[in-house]
Amino acid sequence: MNFLARLIRWLLPLLLAAGTAARAADTPREVIARAALAEDSATQRQLIGSLMGRGDDAIAPLFEAWRTDQLFIYAAPDGTKVPVQLTGPKDEAGTQAALRIDTGAALTGPSGPLRLNAADLTAVEHTAALRRAMKAVLDLADLAAPDPAKRVLAIQTIGLTQDVEKLPALQARTPLETDARAKAVLREAVALIQLKDEKNETRIAALTALKELHSLSTSDAIKRTLKEAEEARNLPVAAAAREALRAVENHRSFVDFFGTLFRGISLGSILLVAALGLAITFGLMRVINMAHGEMIAVGAYTTYLVQNIFGTGITIPFFGFSLGIPGLNFSGGVYQSYFLAALPCSFIAAALVGIGLERSVIRFLYRRPLESLLATWGVSLVLQQCFRLMFGANNVQVSSPVYLSGNWTVNDIIFGWNRVFVVGFAILIVFGMWLVLTKTSLGLLIRASMQNRTMASCMGVRTERVNMLTFGLGSGLAGLAGAFLSQIGNVGPSLGQGYIIDSFMVVVVGGVGSIGGTILSAFGIGGIDQVLQQYLPVIAPGLGWVPGIGGFLQNLAQDAAVFGKILVLAGIILFLQWRPAGLFVTRSRSLED
Amino acid sequence: MSSSGSSPAVRRLELIVVAVVAVLLIVVLPLLNAQGLISNFTLSLWGKYLCYALLAISVDLLWGYTGLLSLGQALFFTLGGYMHGMYLMRMIGELGQYKKPIPDFLVFLGWERLPAFWEPFSSFPFALAMVFLVPGLLAYVFGFLAFRSRIKGVYFSILTQALTYAASIMFFRNNLLLGGNNGFTDFKFILGHSLADPATSRALYIASAVTLLLAYLFCRWLSRTKFGLVQQAIRDGENRVLFSGYATMHFKLFIFVVAALIAAVGGALYTPQVGIINPGEMQADKSLEAVVWVAVGGRGTLLGPILGAISINALKSWATRAYPDLWLIILGGLFILVVLFLPGGLVSIPARLKALWKKLRREPEPPPASSTQPAQPVSAKS
Amino acid sequence: MIKKITSLLGASALALGASLGSARAADTVKVGVLHSLSGTMAISETSLRDILLFTFDEINAKGGVLGKKIEPVVVDGASNWPLFAEKAKQLLEQDKVAVTFGCWTSVSRKSVLPVFEKNNGLLFYPVQYEGEEESQNVAYTAEAVNQQATPAVDYYLAEGKKKFYLLGSDYVYPQTTNLVLLEYLLSKGVKLENIGGGFRKDGSGKIISAGKYTPFGHTDYQQIVAEIKQFAASGDACVISTLNGDTNVPFFKEYAASGLTAEKCPVVSFSISEDEFRGLPAAQLVGQLGCWTYFQSINTPANKKFVSDFQAWLKKSNVPGLVKEGRVTCSPMVLSYVGVYLWKAAVEKAGSFDVDKVRAAWKSGISFDGPGGKVTTQKNMHLTKNVYIGETKADGQFKIVKSFNNVYGEPWLKGKFK
Repeated sequence: MNFLARLIRWLLPLLLAAGTAARAADTPREVIARAALAEDSATQRQLIGSLMGRGDDAIAPLFEAWRTDQLFIYAAPDGTKVPVQLTGPKDEAGTQAALRIDTGAALTGPSGPLRLNAADLTAVEHTAALRRAMKAVLDLADLAAPDPAKRVLAIQTIGLTQDVEKLPALQARTPLETDARAKAVLREAVALIQLKDEKNETRIAALTALKELHSLSTSDAIKRTLKEAEEARNLPVAAAAREALRAVENHRSFVDFFGTLFRGISLGSILLVAALGLAITFGLMRVINMAHGEMIAVGAYTTYLVQNIFGTGITIPFFGFSLGIPGLNFSGGVYQSYFLAALPCSFIAAALVGIGLERSVIRFLYRRPLESLLATWGVSLVLQQCFRLMFGANNVQVSSPVYLSGNWTVNDIIFGWNRVFVVGFAILIVFGMWLVLTKTSLGLLIRASMQNRTMASCMGVRTERVNMLTFGLGSGLAGLAGAFLSQIGNVGPSLGQGYIIDSFMVVVVGGVGSIGGTILSAFGIGGIDQVLQQYLPVIAPGLGWVPGIGGFLQNLAQDAAVFGKILVLAGIILFLQWRPAGLFVTRSRSLED
Repeated sequence: MSSSGSSPAVRRLELIVVAVVAVLLIVVLPLLNAQGLISNFTLSLWGKYLCYALLAISVDLLWGYTGLLSLGQALFFTLGGYMHGMYLMRMIGELGQYKKPIPDFLVFLGWERLPAFWEPFSSFPFALAMVFLVPGLLAYVFGFLAFRSRIKGVYFSILTQALTYAASIMFFRNNLLLGGNNGFTDFKFILGHSLADPATSRALYIASAVTLLLAYLFCRWLSRTKFGLVQQAIRDGENRVLFSGYATMHFKLFIFVVAALIAAVGGALYTPQVGIINPGEMQADKSLEAVVWVAVGGRGTLLGPILGAISINALKSWATRAYPDLWLIILGGLFILVVLFLPGGLVSIPARLKALWKKLRREPEPPPASSTQPAQPVSAKS
Repeated sequence: MIKKITSLLGASALALGASLGSARAADTVKVGVLHSLSGTMAISETSLRDILLFTFDEINAKGGVLGKKIEPVVVDGASNWPLFAEKAKQLLEQDKVAVTFGCWTSVSRKSVLPVFEKNNGLLFYPVQYEGEEESQNVAYTAEAVNQQATPAVDYYLAEGKKKFYLLGSDYVYPQTTNLVLLEYLLSKGVKLENIGGGFRKDGSGKIISAGKYTPFGHTDYQQIVAEIKQFAASGDACVISTLNGDTNVPFFKEYAASGLTAEKCPVVSFSISEDEFRGLPAAQLVGQLGCWTYFQSINTPANKKFVSDFQAWLKKSNVPGLVKEGRVTCSPMVLSYVGVYLWKAAVEKAGSFDVDKVRAAWKSGISFDGPGGKVTTQKNMHLTKNVYIGETKADGQFKIVKSFNNVYGEPWLKGKFK
């Protein structure tokens, strides 16, 4: 244990004695016990707040227990209520050893220590305001936490309050800090609080520091200082503030630019994953599969099923029958890995549905592409209603495993793990598909049959079988896409409808039959969409010059999500004017195809 | 199957059927309604079906006769409805929720005066002109762009779908000043007559029926002219027509605009009868539904789409009440079955039955190959 | 062929006539139920059909209304607005129902409104809405904007929030709510630059729309969440969301993935009730806020009885297509329930089913103690009721953190806060 950290912990109460109202007689444990029993949340908050700066190792674990619903009220037979915490392993009856919150000792009944079942007790409730109060207490204690990330968070929170009373604590910490990131944040927090200082030199020095740090979170505080300085005609401070603000804004445009870039790539990957299956069924086989979206939904629902099988099982009603699937009751890491198991399952499930569809409907329509469009639309309606009957009209819950629900924030640019995962996976399946199509004999057969079915058949290729497998492959890829989309959007009966038009656009723009074109167009469309969303509001005020509709355009550009989409669609229509067959044209000698 | 290719006897029969049905719809039904024998509700329901039939004809003119499957006809239908709706909104006067002289949703958006482009819609002739002009112009521009770069077949279908999709997103926005998601509703008067009056509803119904008859006769005439023949030749083999020296683009563009106009008139009649027009009507699935009517009724014929539109919508009115859970499965399944097993649609059933009957009678002799497929659909080439 | 077509015409006309004109027994009163049981809105509206049938059974078991049993006529609007108008006509002109309970979306209400006004019918409308309407033929049991949005802002202000980001789906309810909120926030001294999401102005520079809007079914919230994260960097920001059902999932998934939490920047959503919660990733929503006039977690005997009675009814009911597992109760459901009882009370006070008399009884001020507390009818066809603010919990329920008693329902709010 870091000696200095301990020292600070013990020093803090002294430093902050003026700001606290705790009754010295109560131990922190007793205060928390009283707070747990308090009826209204204002009293609770006041009690929790009184712990501010109290250095006691018991506080943090108790707060943590409270936050995670592990703190319970035990109603003793005599009617008194005792806040308790359950610890130790569960026995067969599901009971655990109970510790009194106020003393930390075991809860005893007439016949010795009591064992309680969590299911029989009510957890002590908590609100966001209460959690914030706890956080404020912990933040100050966390200034000396061993984990640098924790320290950073605590320092930032304190800094943003611009509370002058907390300045000594931060300053005391400054010489002790070793972590580079924490050092920078500490400097920022000190500077932020110093903006409230009365002396000009201190404020200017603080602003200079903020300029060097150019952190986005300080922008509001600097703006406030600037305004105050301007109102007070304090020119030197105003000038310093302006410079600091400029530095922050420069940083912001840097973040926006690279953030947009990443978001464009991420959206492109999603479009690509969603459209790849279509690039095969539509691009290579020329089947207009309007049920492509439902293949995506099959994949997403399979993910949902696998999740439930890893969990507690599921019952699926269908036309009066009810199919119960028992669960494996996994927990922890094994349960979290459900998503990895769901990937192959969703591929297989969608591929099987696809093969069924090919055998029952599509194989009769290879020579009638427009009618395949209509028949598959019928299939899509039927499938959607089947989803509704089986899984309900509501969306279903697909939880994100831990390894997909965090983010890396580098230089204020957010890289969500789920997004990074999709990008990586898009690259992986594109590579896999390239291998299958060019390096395997199946790929050779697929390409041969798709180029000229009759000729391939004459050469002895069993085109019926190849058709079936190709369609299965395309559908399976759609299923994989569904597994991913379950991590990003909702899983419901109409999931597929949201992607079908976009997928067709991607394939058509890329050039039907060209996988490379599909990739390029997916990233192109994704990138343009994100750029428009980011920068349309920025250029909006500049659109006023357009005669007649200037004001209209200005307002339209503010609705970047909507207008961006319209612009992309209009752009596609115009693009096809220029290149009717898409980016990459697959050349053929036949006149009509 | 197309009317120009059928025998004179069949054509005469078709005319008789049309004449009888027309009298029934235009004269008998309204008379019965005026006598109170048919409820206002039933009549307005039929009025709605007839408007849908106009939409179906417009789809068929493109798909059945020219080989262009447009998945965006509902856009033109809705645009027609909006143009007429703007007139109807102006006619509300100060009877809206806010009791202001401008439409409610404009008051709600903070407007105090009518935006300039709304002004002329107080005039019925202007609105009527716009019913034709706006959808027609859009069809012309889009068609020009699409046909000039020889976008055809599936690409054309997908592009028309993209067009409606973009338009529906656009119309959903409140700031377009066309009512956003809610669209136009709460109409009160048309040409000085109260829409609450059953006589007005009856007149609107008759107008729909007459328009449908006119559209039918126009298409029937068109399909028999030289123009119509070229049009069908484009459907069956565009390149050959092109090589024969016809500028197919102009033919296609013309028919695309005509189809848009028919749909637009349907929409314009639809709006006052159902009492609401909103962007939900131009979403992609509405256009697809219209294609279903045509496919089920029988494409490449003129009676087929009308029959399809009426029968499927009647089925819908019933099934959404009797089996709300199964309605989509019924519709989807019906559709798959028709595409797979009855490519000629409902109207081909009599011919099929006749052929079957002949085959049964001649059973001792081996049937000639051609009679086993009496209802060969219009060329599969698209 | 002639025969075929004419018979088809006749048959369908007959079928329609026959299905509509069932015999009317003397000891029953027909009541319309007009909700979408198929299509996109079925997700939400099916629950309202269920609760209405439950309420009718409950009332019938106690002897009905004025000695007559309620005979529900359930029709499906199929999430199709013209169809809503058609079905409303059918209910009023063919079935001659005494009252109709129905509609969810604003557009469905707008589409049936002329039908109800023309036939002098009465519609009970139970879902939070944008106001700016006061028809004599609609009883608005729904939350008005001042019974949901402005209390939420009061709560945030009390919590010390200084920056407000307005986000919504692009339709009339979010647009109005945000305009009202903009006026309200400015009247409370919040600065314009601290209201996020963007503004749209008319030619004279007057703000005509505030907030960020996304189309229906939007799935990509990356940019918006990144913007919120920057907006919230100063630590005193919150989000007011009027996103509708489906788009909440991608939004909250993105929100959680970017590291934003309820403690850093809470989101209050006006469209997420217990029922919508069933399809949302609960873990990612913990601590976010909801604001309604009812929560299932309300700890009163009346509510507990209501919830357990409904569950018991679900178990033994044989309504086709009824989902029996995992059901919850939520504000629109309770407002439907309360609506039926208020109608019953009004009918009994008027001593007649006549719409004009029932309306007069409503306007005279009737009270009913419902699961969410006491509600009272107002002259402007709205309701005075309690408003609760709740925090979402991992089990899909809300913990009530604040309540406002007897809030008057005011539909006309634009221009009120200056």
